[in-house]
Amino acid sequence: MKPPRFDYVAAGSVGEATEALASAEDSRVLAGGQSLVPLMNLRLARPSLLVDVNHLGALSGFESHNGTLRFGAMCRHRFLETDPDVRQKAPIFAEVAELIGHVGIRNRGTLGGSLAHADPVAELPALLVALEGRVIVASTGSERAIPAAELFAGPFTTGLEPDELLTTVEVPAHRDGDGGAFSEFVRRHGDFATAGVAVILHRDGFGACEQVRVAGCGLGPTPMDLSAAGDFLRGESSLTDGAAEELGRRVAAAADPPGDVHGSKDYRRELAAVLAADAVRRAWARAGSAGGA
Amino acid sequence: MSVTAPPQAPAETGAALRRKEDTRLLCGQGEFLGDVYRPDLKHIAILRSPVAHARIRHIDGSGALTLPGVIGVFTGGELAAETGEFSHHLPMIPTLRQITWSVLATDKVRFVGEPVAAVVADSRYIAEDALELIEVDYEELPAVSDAEAGLDPEAPLLYEDWGDNVFLFMPGSHGDIEAAFAGADGVLQERFTHHRISGLPMEGHGALGEFDPATGRLEMYVSTQVPHTLRTVISDISGLSEAKIRVVAPDMGGGFGNKAHFMREEVLVAVLAMRVRHPVVWQQDRTENLLSGLHSRQQVHEVEVAYRDDGKILGLRANFVVDVGSPELYILGCAPAIVTTSVVPNCYDLQDYAFELRCVATNKGPMGGYRGYGQPQGIFLMERVLDLVGERLGIDPVTIRRANMIPDEPRPYVTATGSVLDTGSFGDQLTELLEAVDYDAACGARDEARTAGRLVGVGIAQMVEPTAPNIHGLAGRFGGYEMAMLTVQPDGRVNVAVGTKSQGQGHETIYAKVAAETLGISPDDVEVSDGDTAALPYGIGTWGSRSAVMGGGAVIKAAQQVRDKMAAIAAGMLEAPAEQIEASDGFFRLGEAAIPFAQIAAVAYLHTFLLPPGMDPGLSVVVGYDPGNTSPFPDERGKMNVAATYSTAAAAAVVEVEAATGVVTVQDLTIVHDCGTVIDGVLLDGQIHGAVAQAVGQTFFEEIHYDENGQPLTSTLLDYMIPTFGDAVRARIIHRETPSGLIGGFRGAGEGAIIVTPAALAAAVHDALVPLGVSITQSNLSPPRLRALLRGHSTA
Repeated sequence: MKPPRFDYVAAGSVGEATEALASAEDSRVLAGGQSLVPLMNLRLARPSLLVDVNHLGALSGFESHNGTLRFGAMCRHRFLETDPDVRQKAPIFAEVAELIGHVGIRNRGTLGGSLAHADPVAELPALLVALEGRVIVASTGSERAIPAAELFAGPFTTGLEPDELLTTVEVPAHRDGDGGAFSEFVRRHGDFATAGVAVILHRDGFGACEQVRVAGCGLGPTPMDLSAAGDFLRGESSLTDGAAEELGRRVAAAADPPGDVHGSKDYRRELAAVLAADAVRRAWARAGSAGGA
Repeated sequence: MSVTAPPQAPAETGAALRRKEDTRLLCGQGEFLGDVYRPDLKHIAILRSPVAHARIRHIDGSGALTLPGVIGVFTGGELAAETGEFSHHLPMIPTLRQITWSVLATDKVRFVGEPVAAVVADSRYIAEDALELIEVDYEELPAVSDAEAGLDPEAPLLYEDWGDNVFLFMPGSHGDIEAAFAGADGVLQERFTHHRISGLPMEGHGALGEFDPATGRLEMYVSTQVPHTLRTVISDISGLSEAKIRVVAPDMGGGFGNKAHFMREEVLVAVLAMRVRHPVVWQQDRTENLLSGLHSRQQVHEVEVAYRDDGKILGLRANFVVDVGSPELYILGCAPAIVTTSVVPNCYDLQDYAFELRCVATNKGPMGGYRGYGQPQGIFLMERVLDLVGERLGIDPVTIRRANMIPDEPRPYVTATGSVLDTGSFGDQLTELLEAVDYDAACGARDEARTAGRLVGVGIAQMVEPTAPNIHGLAGRFGGYEMAMLTVQPDGRVNVAVGTKSQGQGHETIYAKVAAETLGISPDDVEVSDGDTAALPYGIGTWGSRSAVMGGGAVIKAAQQVRDKMAAIAAGMLEAPAEQIEASDGFFRLGEAAIPFAQIAAVAYLHTFLLPPGMDPGLSVVVGYDPGNTSPFPDERGKMNVAATYSTAAAAAVVEVEAATGVVTVQDLTIVHDCGTVIDGVLLDGQIHGAVAQAVGQTFFEEIHYDENGQPLTSTLLDYMIPTFGDAVRARIIHRETPSGLIGGFRGAGEGAIIVTPAALAAAVHDALVPLGVSITQSNLSPPRLRALLRGHSTA
């Protein structure tokens, strides 16, 4: 369980990082390393060059700007979980970050790393899809935005080019009447989710549901946009138990989960139903309260 | 002479003492295999088969040899030409296939992970790089990935010359099974399944070997529960005399029975140390551990039970099919399954019992010993049978158990399979359990919860457990005795060496306590070493809940001999008969007169002119201890008394099942446990809590998965799930102390809780699911497995 040989460079700037990425075949960005390094030890990932971006201050920090929440790609999960500003302005990120791994993992793991790794059972990619966020990626001399809907191409596969560095994550800022919740099933505290469901909804000033966004992890080859399952809730001004369970049934039907040692397809569909019903109940309540989520 | 127990004894048996080893271990000053270092140490990496079943056509290691830092590349055929072979050493079992195998695969590979070639290099990194340069030409063969499928006449054959895949066939018939069924009011037919798991010690297997060409001596550091017997096996295969080999088992991060076998890799390290003339080390990584190091438990039981309408079980027929994976493992991987067959009657008066056992070779990792050693499955069978028969007849779990229980008298009671039970009262033990959990109230609370639509269940289970067994004739050559060395040094401090090996149980503490108590001194004055073949002629090791019973007995016996000699010296000095001398509180006493323990020691070594006439100097003994009551072989009817003494336990569990997810919450788990005289209550509770955590793991979390082609699907700890600290269940523990008739009154302590708990949890889950009509007949109650059972049942 030792990695094969690789080269290593600690980038001093985004420009240096993108140049280094372009300089070698099979170069990879080293962010928190919580997924990449174990894969290297198992020899399942074999980068020829690791480009360490841990020293790039430009990739850290969180700000709210003109209706957009902007996160540096190197925001650690633990920062999302504990930062007072994030907890106030983007509480759903804090809720989700707390579900990731253990504290030691969250101290190192990063938002951008999780999105770029694109593990279909990871929480943050599903959250980005539910929030209709986007990422900013840099390559030598240029920059572009990739919407969440186009970012995730398949298991562990994104729309990033090999020489592109994910620098920034953007999601719409919270409005009054927004409410969100993320529910997941884990066998043990800190595990990857067997399945998870994010529900983000908006209720108007009269309490009526205007928009429902649903996304899942562990329910397909990518973080799946399951929002169509919630369309029937639009215009409703109360959420009955029956409606929450109906959303669960629709999410389960729309999901395309894998079957593996952690659960069969059927089992994950059953979990999706339970989780979606739970998440929509909590999101609904939050959307109707002052703070939201 | 008689020495009475001193009332002011510093550490009475049963009182808790801070563990002697804890300061060292908790301050990071332990010496585990990974801490053992030699200058010029080279590293071994092992190429393992990526396919489940194949013929090896050709291996080319020349590419690997060109990599800088590589010392040597070794293949099975090359090493086999110069070394001996493994065998099971069981020619006396006619229905066991007699096979031999080498340290590395030679002609065929039979499971993913089987060792095929080895690289010795300057670092493990380079060695693993070199593995990728070895070319192996495999002729792939269809795989057997399931034991029952392996019995199909059309199944692929692991060993073509066998003609089938049955590694061991063993029938047994006790009492008059035909008469039992003829007299039955009803017959229950059931199928029980047990899933494949791993003992998973935190520290995997590993060995470091250093050969000195000048003296021809080989020194081995091995993470093993059985250093002395491993030395014998290394001698067999390396050709080196046991007098030239020293095996040391350093501090260990667990073993759980997985390290009571002789791994091919351990002997490979010895062979390579002799070949390359550098010290070499191999440490199993977690993937190697999950593929090959070892698996346990997987069995299928088809049973027929003859019962009377009053709940009495009259007879039981069982057909055991056991998936032993690759049979190339010494100690025999079938041994736990043989134990399964022998413990089925449990603590019930069932004399009419017949079975057939088929251990099937499959293209999976070898099946080996794991804490419980076949007993969880046998106890699960009998406890489920009682509940299921009771359910048919409308008899509650307590009543049907009492109706079948072995009565309190006479003792010993001889079971159908020949176990000579020396236990206390099963009825009193059950009563104590029921009172501790307020059983009627628990059932009442369950009924209320059920009315409210919740799935709450209460389950009970009992077990009797052979401890300190003799597996000479059923597992391979190594019997049931133990040895100990005890030396009182000239300064009055004591060295004890034992043939058992602590893997974390706290043996330094318990042996110091029993030696100190016998000698009338403080445990602080006793130094214990274990796991070093240079310190003691021989030992059988730690497994089978034997260390306290056999090792403790040997230490006490040694301490008694030395104490008697010291008393004789004191008697000479006090001019009194030795019988009147008492050893207590660091003195040898005669009335008011007292000579310090250390002063007698000084006489024995320094002031020897004070010794009684004719007495030899020195205070050191090596003793062997064998209670002599176990059978090395079954008799002509297949009966044998496997164990020197028997422990008992009863457990009650209260659980709640969440139907939507299949998650089970254990609300209460209470265990009444009787392992005879308690040496240290804190350490004993630790044994039980650890065993409960593992029982929770095997029931709700753990499973080794293979696909239909024999490819393993659980090769990291992301996929093989063990309970974390937060998932462990805190059991309530109640000790009964029924002393055995052996030295010290001890019975085995390490396994009872892992034997009885799975059956109690299954009973409770079954009870919780009564409203849904779901019956629990499988050991795996993980959320996805339980949910699969619930799927399709009303309201679930």
